[in-house]
Amino acid sequence: MSTTIDVIDLRKRFGSTVALDGMTFTVQPGLVTGFVGPNGSGKSTTMRVILGLDAADDGHALIGGRSYRDLRYPSRRIGSLLDAGALQPSRTGRNHLLWLAHSQGLGAKRVDEVVTQAGLGSAIRRKAGGYSLGMRQRLGIAAALLGDPPALMLDEPFNGMDPEGIVWMRGFLRSLAAEGRAILVSSHLMSELQDTADHLVVVGRGKVIADAGVQDLITAASGDRVTLRTAARTQAMTVLAQAGATVAATGPDTVTVSGLAAGRIVALLGENAVPFAEVTAHRASLEEAYMELTRDAVEFRAVSR
Amino acid sequence: MREALHAEWTKLRTVAGTGWLLVAVIVLTGALSAAAVAGCAAGCSDPARTSLTGVDFGQAVVAILAVLAISGEYSVGMMRVTLTAMPRRLTVLAAKATVVSGLVVLAGAVAVLVSIVAGRLLLPGLSLTDGAMLRAAGGSVLYLVLIGLLSLGVATAVRDSATAVGVVLGLLYLFPVLATAIGDPLWHRHFQQIGPMTAGLAIQATVHLDALPISPWAGIGVLAAWAVGALLTGGLVLRLRDA
Amino acid sequence: MMFWQLLHAEWTKFRTVRGWVIGMLAAVLVTVLVGLLGPTSSSFSCAGPSGQACTLADHTPPLGPDGEAVSDGFYFVRQPLTGDGSITARLTSLTGTVQPWSKVGVIIKASTRQGSAYAAVVGTGSHGVRMQYDYTHDTAGDPAARWFRLTRSGDTVTGYDSVDGTHWHQISSATPAGLPATVQAGLLATSPEFTVASQSLGRTNGSGGPTLATGTFDNVALTGSGGTWIGGNVAGQGPGGGPGSGFRQSGGTFTVSGSGDIAPAVPAKGGLDKTIENGLIGVFAGLIAVIIVATMFITTEYRRGLIRTTLAASPRRGGVLAAKAVVVGVVTFVAGLVAAAIAVPLVEHLEHGKGFYVYTVTPLTELRVVLGTAALLAVAAVLALAVGTVLRRGAGAVAAVIVAIVLPYVLTIAPVLPPAAAEWLARLTPAAAFAIQQSVPQYVQVTASYTPANGYFPLAPWAGFAVLCGYTVVALGVAMLVLRRRDA
Repeated sequence: MSTTIDVIDLRKRFGSTVALDGMTFTVQPGLVTGFVGPNGSGKSTTMRVILGLDAADDGHALIGGRSYRDLRYPSRRIGSLLDAGALQPSRTGRNHLLWLAHSQGLGAKRVDEVVTQAGLGSAIRRKAGGYSLGMRQRLGIAAALLGDPPALMLDEPFNGMDPEGIVWMRGFLRSLAAEGRAILVSSHLMSELQDTADHLVVVGRGKVIADAGVQDLITAASGDRVTLRTAARTQAMTVLAQAGATVAATGPDTVTVSGLAAGRIVALLGENAVPFAEVTAHRASLEEAYMELTRDAVEFRAVSR
Repeated sequence: MREALHAEWTKLRTVAGTGWLLVAVIVLTGALSAAAVAGCAAGCSDPARTSLTGVDFGQAVVAILAVLAISGEYSVGMMRVTLTAMPRRLTVLAAKATVVSGLVVLAGAVAVLVSIVAGRLLLPGLSLTDGAMLRAAGGSVLYLVLIGLLSLGVATAVRDSATAVGVVLGLLYLFPVLATAIGDPLWHRHFQQIGPMTAGLAIQATVHLDALPISPWAGIGVLAAWAVGALLTGGLVLRLRDA
Repeated sequence: MMFWQLLHAEWTKFRTVRGWVIGMLAAVLVTVLVGLLGPTSSSFSCAGPSGQACTLADHTPPLGPDGEAVSDGFYFVRQPLTGDGSITARLTSLTGTVQPWSKVGVIIKASTRQGSAYAAVVGTGSHGVRMQYDYTHDTAGDPAARWFRLTRSGDTVTGYDSVDGTHWHQISSATPAGLPATVQAGLLATSPEFTVASQSLGRTNGSGGPTLATGTFDNVALTGSGGTWIGGNVAGQGPGGGPGSGFRQSGGTFTVSGSGDIAPAVPAKGGLDKTIENGLIGVFAGLIAVIIVATMFITTEYRRGLIRTTLAASPRRGGVLAAKAVVVGVVTFVAGLVAAAIAVPLVEHLEHGKGFYVYTVTPLTELRVVLGTAALLAVAAVLALAVGTVLRRGAGAVAAVIVAIVLPYVLTIAPVLPPAAAEWLARLTPAAAFAIQQSVPQYVQVTASYTPANGYFPLAPWAGFAVLCGYTVVALGVAMLVLRRRDA
């Protein structure tokens, strides 16, 4: 059974602030979809609307074609983790999972299964107030998995995890996607998603800026720029400019060329006997691609002093 | 609804404090009742009622219990988890109301029993099987349940636990206090007829019923109206506001 | 960090949370608005003997020499007495519908005007022989004495009693305010209304009626005067004289019958006469708002772990709590002062407008009531802060403080508790502090329902306030201790 999450033209204001401004995207089964954007770009609000916690002024969010509030046992259709800290401190982790299980018509047996799956040890019988942030994230993952749902939605699941936990989480998300589940993972740090996400929904100012596969995004952000290292900088620039390329000196012995493919540049330099040490096709990191996309959408840019 | 009840019961059962609060309802109600009735050796106009004075105290603990059933979740953000697991919000409220009422019936019954047994020991003349006494005792349990529902409704509407408890205890204790400032006898009577505590506690009276501002069952009806009003308001807020 | 810096930090914290500022403003508002409940919901109608509507003047009690409201109604058998002199009489019997404070005896009074200064030695129904003067002063004499004597010398009047008419014993001496050269001296008889107090849900109802006391005297002697005795009621519109009053003189025996009272007037809640603290009933509502805000001032720090930031910024934990106490105490005091200073005159004005008499008190008393109310609220706020620090939970702390301060008051005014138990509650619990609002004192020489429900507290104003302060100091001490010992 495969389920998609469809977000269709969501709009919402808080007073004079526009939180969602026509947010539209689809989360496909079998893929990890990264949901990224600067702080305040509407990620959490979108997730709350999907879960029926906040009401949108306009638009719909559907899980497998149905709105969240109509789901009989919602956790069996979509598992979610919004705020790992939202626990009553005096209750044990296991009892937290137990009441959630009961709310979905599930029993204690299922609780024990997800405890193992999420890698929670004996700490599950301690009070949740004493958990580290990483423990809370794992407890939240366990809670999301209770209903064995075909779709999962996790808000910043890497927060507070140690490096070992991050590696575990990446592998875990990949394996869940491999089982055919639709997975939406939000993050404000692109690097966390680099090796995890198949697809990215980049948002800014309450709407989608880019909605594409990770490979496509990187290619697009890389452009056709080539970095050239040469001792004869001036000569190289003249030759390439005459061939119609845009050339910029970026260092004492480096030049960035755009408008010409790497192979053509090598050929041109060879023809004109210009010496060069290295020609590299520029490949953007996901981080750069993201910065490129969201440059205009950042509302709270740090001011350097 | 069955799952929601089960979940809410598990929640209330596994959070620290519930047990202590239930014990506190029993102990504080019994203690104040016993202390009050001990003074009756010198004469009380309505010993049966005096033997149930502790309910005035116990209701404050019932209010805390009911308020925490929902405000305890709001204060740590867990209400979102609850409403994610159970998106039918009114079902959640109904389940909470049922579970809280169940616990209050239990604790209230024990508290009232302790009170009247203490009353009987300290004041041998007290009849336990008298019809009016039975009505007063059973009505006191019902009174506590309705206080629990009123508190739950208020807490659902205002969310913050300290504010909710303050509002509930204000509603309860202010009416009898403010009534003393009203000189006009008719207004004074009306004021006591609409107060949740002044009206509700009429159920405890066993003598001079015609001198009461409101008849016992009508008084419980007034309190029930307050509880229903609070729950409706809370339900409406819960339904309409973002979680 | 210096203490004033801590104060500054806590003050910034307080004023930047909008809910708390609104809460304090709400406390002021409800205190004033709820105070209006009394005058707006109270009205009365009454008709004079010939059917005309009565006016404020009809039920304004006469004022005594110190400006206090008094009862001054009795049957007076008198002669003028100029300069120094004395009156002596032997009381042979006291009969009639005698009340504990029925009074028959000798009196020297500035004039027959109600409220004028006097001194008297009287036999009473069940309180023995008393020397009383200027309404509020009362000294016990020898209960077995039957001979009474008053001697004027200049401005001083001295009272004596005697068992046998030979050996005289001085009870007390007094200087009634502004005695003229010629005063009225003679015999008096008066008897207050009997009251049956019955309680029903938070209200004491009095019922009763007039009574008549008849004193029989012989050996009546007035020095410095040789005129004839004339009798008459000293009475205004209120009780005084009454049916059956009068006097008979046969030979040396005088039989004097009278009704009324010559004593300070005492108000009762729900009556036609109001006291200034009537306007402060809204303090109970304001108190609850204050308790909520003061509790949250500390418990919200615990809820989101802000306390760690606070204690990291100023590791002297006792100092933090002290700064919070000062901030919340001062803010509440100011709010309470504003509320009380508006409510008291406003309600007084409205009650006057409706035709109620409001008991006049000295400016000092009025100041004590207003300042005391503000102080009560401030100390209650500090108590709430301390309890909040100990419990760390908003719900529990708010409930605990409301239950500690308001519930005992509710119980003392409710009809369920035996009176003795109610009185102990008003002595021992923090609710004792409401005594600070009592503007008219309790008088032993006047029978009335002196219950908290009627506005009378067993403890003196500042003593009652001290009880609340005691609880607060203890709670603050415990809070300091746990704050130091406990991990943040």
